[in-house]
Amino acid sequence: MSLIKQLWLAIALVMLVAFGGSFLVSSLSAKAYLEEQLLLKNLDNATSLAATLSQMPKDEVTIELLISSQFDTGHYESIRLVNPTGKVLVERLSDAGNIGAPAWFARMFRIAAQPGVAQVQDGWQQYGTLTLSSHARFAYRELWNSTLRLLGWFVAAALLTAIAGTVLLRFILRPLDKVVQQAEAIGARRFITIEEPSTTEFQAVVRSMNAMARRVRQMLEDESSRLEQLRREAHHDAVTGLLNRGHFLARVQTALAREDAGAEGVLVIARLLDLHELNRGQGWAVMDTLIKRFADALRAMAPKDAEWVIGRLNGSDFAVLAPGEDDAGALAQRVQEALQMLARELDLQAVCHLPAAATPYRHADQLSRVLARVDVALANAVAGGGDTVQVAGMEQAPADAGKRMDLATWRQRFDSALTMGQVKLHSYPVVDAAGQLLHGECVARLRLGADSDWLHAGEFVPWLARLGDLARLDEMVLDLAIARLLNCTDNLCINLSAQSMNDAVLMHRLASRLGETPELAKRLWLEVPEYGVFQNLENFRILSALLKPVGCRIGIEHVGHQVAHIGELHDMGLDYLKIDASFVHSIDQNQANQVFLRGLAMIAHSIGLSALAEGVGSEAEFRTLVELGFDGATGPAITARGS
Amino acid sequence: MTRQRAQRCLAAMVALLGAVTICLASPDLDRVVALAIKRYGVHAAQNVDTWRDLVERNRDLPEREKLELVNSFFNVNVDFEQDPVVWGRNDYWATPLETLGRGQGDCEDFSIGKYVTLGLLGVPIERLRITYVRAETGLSGSGIVQAHMVLAYYPEPGAEPVILDNLVGELRPASRRPDLKPVFGFNSQGLWIAGRPASSDPTARLSRWRDLLRRMNEEGLN
Repeated sequence: MSLIKQLWLAIALVMLVAFGGSFLVSSLSAKAYLEEQLLLKNLDNATSLAATLSQMPKDEVTIELLISSQFDTGHYESIRLVNPTGKVLVERLSDAGNIGAPAWFARMFRIAAQPGVAQVQDGWQQYGTLTLSSHARFAYRELWNSTLRLLGWFVAAALLTAIAGTVLLRFILRPLDKVVQQAEAIGARRFITIEEPSTTEFQAVVRSMNAMARRVRQMLEDESSRLEQLRREAHHDAVTGLLNRGHFLARVQTALAREDAGAEGVLVIARLLDLHELNRGQGWAVMDTLIKRFADALRAMAPKDAEWVIGRLNGSDFAVLAPGEDDAGALAQRVQEALQMLARELDLQAVCHLPAAATPYRHADQLSRVLARVDVALANAVAGGGDTVQVAGMEQAPADAGKRMDLATWRQRFDSALTMGQVKLHSYPVVDAAGQLLHGECVARLRLGADSDWLHAGEFVPWLARLGDLARLDEMVLDLAIARLLNCTDNLCINLSAQSMNDAVLMHRLASRLGETPELAKRLWLEVPEYGVFQNLENFRILSALLKPVGCRIGIEHVGHQVAHIGELHDMGLDYLKIDASFVHSIDQNQANQVFLRGLAMIAHSIGLSALAEGVGSEAEFRTLVELGFDGATGPAITARGS
Repeated sequence: MTRQRAQRCLAAMVALLGAVTICLASPDLDRVVALAIKRYGVHAAQNVDTWRDLVERNRDLPEREKLELVNSFFNVNVDFEQDPVVWGRNDYWATPLETLGRGQGDCEDFSIGKYVTLGLLGVPIERLRITYVRAETGLSGSGIVQAHMVLAYYPEPGAEPVILDNLVGELRPASRRPDLKPVFGFNSQGLWIAGRPASSDPTARLSRWRDLLRRMNEEGLN
């Protein structure tokens, strides 16, 4: 029973007891008072009538007249005169009549006044005993009226108390709702803080809960910055902060395997020739400065909305993975020019030679092939002397000449494809640690015409992103997913692009659509890529506030690159994180990544999130991940048990 | 005693008699005697002591002899005196202990004392009437009258009563007392409900009688 109901019950009970008691006491004391008054009247009247009769002549007519006159003009129930031998000399009785109160009431509060008795004498002789009792009618009426008045007061006071009680209880309990909300949030591992209420007792509770939430947040921040530190040391070059060789290659591989976006682009490598000589000739300090500036320049080149991956492969090789770029030669040229300009600024143009090579890649290219192509091209460039740029084409030209289309044509073709509904879902299993299916992760396939091939997301998503049409695709994917949920019992997961997430109107639309089918919404998992989330955390907060209540599970995919921020997710009530494949790749052999992922899984668990791994390529990797505390995984090596 | 005063006293008398009736149920005579010694000294207390012996030894006498005994006991041991002289105020209703302790009292004190004592001796109170009378005190026909009070004893309801009076020492039937004209007689019959505590009774709220009841209670007659 809720506190407010219990308080109500207590108030009702106290009211009932208080007023019931006072009703009884006042009625009984009024009854006793009235009985006493009647008895006094009976005694006095009997004595005075008997004294008068004693002085009168004792003929029957006189006696009867005197008694009748008393009886007829007074308020008597009976007057009786009995002689010493017990014979009734005169008797007057009133008829019952109306007593002025309900019969049941008169029965309940019976007014039983003793009659007055006095002796009548005739000289020295006893003449008789006079017994007289007054009518109780007025007493009943008085008692009844006072009872009614009390009842009126009771009702009025009860109403007043009820109204005042309601207001008071609302006022008192208002802070409690917030306290309960906070407690529930903390129970669900959302460590929110709230304003302290003014009620002392609640204040103490909220204060300590706030302190706990803050401590937890502090702990998360410490832990995530420690992880960030770990990640930097393991994956980054100490001088420039660019990715080291190992992690850069892991990122390239991830990009090639990726289904959703950026699976097509250009890999550029630029080399600073004779670094050892230069170090000796120019000094370490100068060369370190130059290299750091190279790194800054490359970072500055990356467009805002693209996810470039930049690495320093060994001392002298700088690599850029630029998803979404299509002209390898132009990009290599731009990279080389930017680096040459920095050399000129430090007056090193004469000694710094910066050959560069580039190759395009696309989804499902082999990493080794891409690297081989760019290595050959770089060797050619080095052989070509000083500042040559070499481009290595792909082994075979893209089968579909349509991919060379310009933006305007794409727009037109997409428009008709989306309008015609030439979109379908393909799903990959995501399993839990025991190998049971958690959900199917859906990716979109699209074809430009009824007889064309189905395109992978990686092939058309970059174009849609450029056209700003991702939101439209996402909405379509949601529709398809809902339709599919109707026909199967599995859970499904769909990706929302950062673009969609930032579209407030779309988010409201999705929320209301899912709100119509809450049973299905419960089986739908929604995820947003990490870079999108931390680019605009506020919008992500809104998304989760909109979609959590309808029953969806919300998660973040490709997690791991911005772990310093993970602590900020503590109060959102998210459900899961999917860790980016570049950390998962060869996890069974990579000690540094194992430490990192163990820490990541621990943080995720401490704020109530599951940790899932992407891109698991072997059974050994999966086993290692389970040992590290992961709750599930997806990837080429993952198949759902029993499905 | 004027007629008006007599009437004023009437209701009060009724209440006193009722209280006395209840007192008779469980009198603590030892306490009454002890109190008399303390209040009035050993000499005065002899009256009370004698009275106590009288009450305790004569319960089995015939009623007629009880009347003689009680009547003469009070008439001999109590001197007639008006209230203002004895108590310094008008119309003071003394308890039997006070009357015997002082050895003085007026006509009400005599009547109350006899009524209470006969009650203690087991005489049914319905045979007793305290009666207001108009008494001719001068020679017959002299016209000197005064308000007076006597105790009347009725052996049978319709019989002629015997009068216990302090003006005439001996018991006489009413017919031999032409000097007395009865005005109103009463006892506590029908007024007092058995088992009802005196203090809760409405008549006890008459302040004079409440005071008297309290005093009787203190003296152990209740």
